[in-house]
Amino acid sequence: MQGPLIDTLARQGVSRRTFLKYCATLASMMALPPAAGLAMAEAMAAARRPSVIWLPFQECTGCTESFTRSHSPTLEGMIFDMISLDYQETLMAAAGHQAEEARHTAMRDNAGKYLLVIDGSIPLDQGGAYSCIGGRSNLDILKEAAEGAAAIIAMGTCAAYGGIPKANPNPTGAVSVSDIVKDKPIVNIPGCPPIPVVMTGVLAHYLTFGSLPELDDKGRPKAFFGETIHDRCYRRPFYDQGKFAKTFDDEGARRGWCLFELGCKGPVTYNACATVKWNGGTSWPVESGHGCLGCSEPDFWDAGGFYKALSLPADPLKFAAAAAVVGTGAGVAIGFANRSKKGGAKSAHETTTLDDLEK
Amino acid sequence: MKLDVIPIHVADQPPGEPGLSGNAPPLLREVAEQVRRLLESGEPSAIDLSALPLTPADLDWLQEKLGAGEIAVTLQASGESTLNETACPGVWWVTHRNEQGVVTSQFIEVAFVPELVKAHPADVAIGLETLELLISDL
Repeated sequence: MQGPLIDTLARQGVSRRTFLKYCATLASMMALPPAAGLAMAEAMAAARRPSVIWLPFQECTGCTESFTRSHSPTLEGMIFDMISLDYQETLMAAAGHQAEEARHTAMRDNAGKYLLVIDGSIPLDQGGAYSCIGGRSNLDILKEAAEGAAAIIAMGTCAAYGGIPKANPNPTGAVSVSDIVKDKPIVNIPGCPPIPVVMTGVLAHYLTFGSLPELDDKGRPKAFFGETIHDRCYRRPFYDQGKFAKTFDDEGARRGWCLFELGCKGPVTYNACATVKWNGGTSWPVESGHGCLGCSEPDFWDAGGFYKALSLPADPLKFAAAAAVVGTGAGVAIGFANRSKKGGAKSAHETTTLDDLEK
Repeated sequence: MKLDVIPIHVADQPPGEPGLSGNAPPLLREVAEQVRRLLESGEPSAIDLSALPLTPADLDWLQEKLGAGEIAVTLQASGESTLNETACPGVWWVTHRNEQGVVTSQFIEVAFVPELVKAHPADVAIGLETLELLISDL
């Protein structure tokens, strides 16, 4: 643990204005009022860095990649200056018994105060034998590490909801962190992979306000997951005008019309891709012409085919009128209508056929 | 690398209206309201343009309407930021870019001077130390 963050940053040649600029962007992404950027910068600059233990379970390391390969190394990398990362298998130099020792030391020295980051789901079948670290099952390690944690951050859809390992028929009996840990505050940051800045935002909130950000009913920070992809999509005006691309190369597609009929899951997917974008703000799936897959929603893999259009409510005329009047409200309504569809599709385990893809 | 380096162009660009969504005009009223508030209470405010459903054409339209003022500030801090006063004094068009030149966030800021332009007292104190060091060497 070194001194305040701003000193650490200054040593690395990060100026206060650079930090302020970053906080302004961060605050805007968190939908905080403009003044919050300044308050956040002041508080974080003076904050001491919390100990973080990061455990990888049944995962593909895509979540870690998402972070470490983000395009502004000095800024997104700031996350590693904001925290004291005491255990992260992919990044740490130590291995074997030394690594295990580092984790135990951090857990002992910061008991009750450390943040626990989990990526990957936890397999329960065969006594958890599907994924072990140092001869111990993920379940065992999670329970031990959760005990002394101040809070848990479930990074990625696997840790948050079981993700792809949990996809039908779930061969390893994978479950999410919140299926196991019931007595600690858990923040879910789903996405496959998750958006790096959401993690930074959660940490910034924790350092600035000393608490976790407000969460929605699925445990996600409302600031980033408060609205659907559809509500913030730049193609939304075309949806409201009833202009849809019918295939991936028709005139509508070239004009950038709405991808709803090509299977876009934007209306039922809560995430910040439409505003934060990917690859250093270059683009995001819908901007590059493909519909949203819904990767930040539970069981997205089993939701019935990526190229199948979400069904419209029973009375399209009534719906169109409602959409014209209330805009976002209609998005919410269709969101609810489709959640039940997702559940239905999941239980039926629909297989995507070539016909679906060519539809 | 910037995106325009990649040689992509749209074949058969469809003719007609270049993508105005109609979402930009109401923003002018909001800016006016914020300017009123600045005059009455001195409270600065901002509109986050990257968080609104605006097409590139909408942004161009807004920028054209607001025009260019007398002051243009360039900030070199992890990529270039520009804080440009518009033709309406007190209304600033603020664009933050990363090292690759990609826009990371964009605001219309309503303030007498944007916060980012002001020097922080702690930094001024460091500057003073430097000055004193210079003087002691004379």
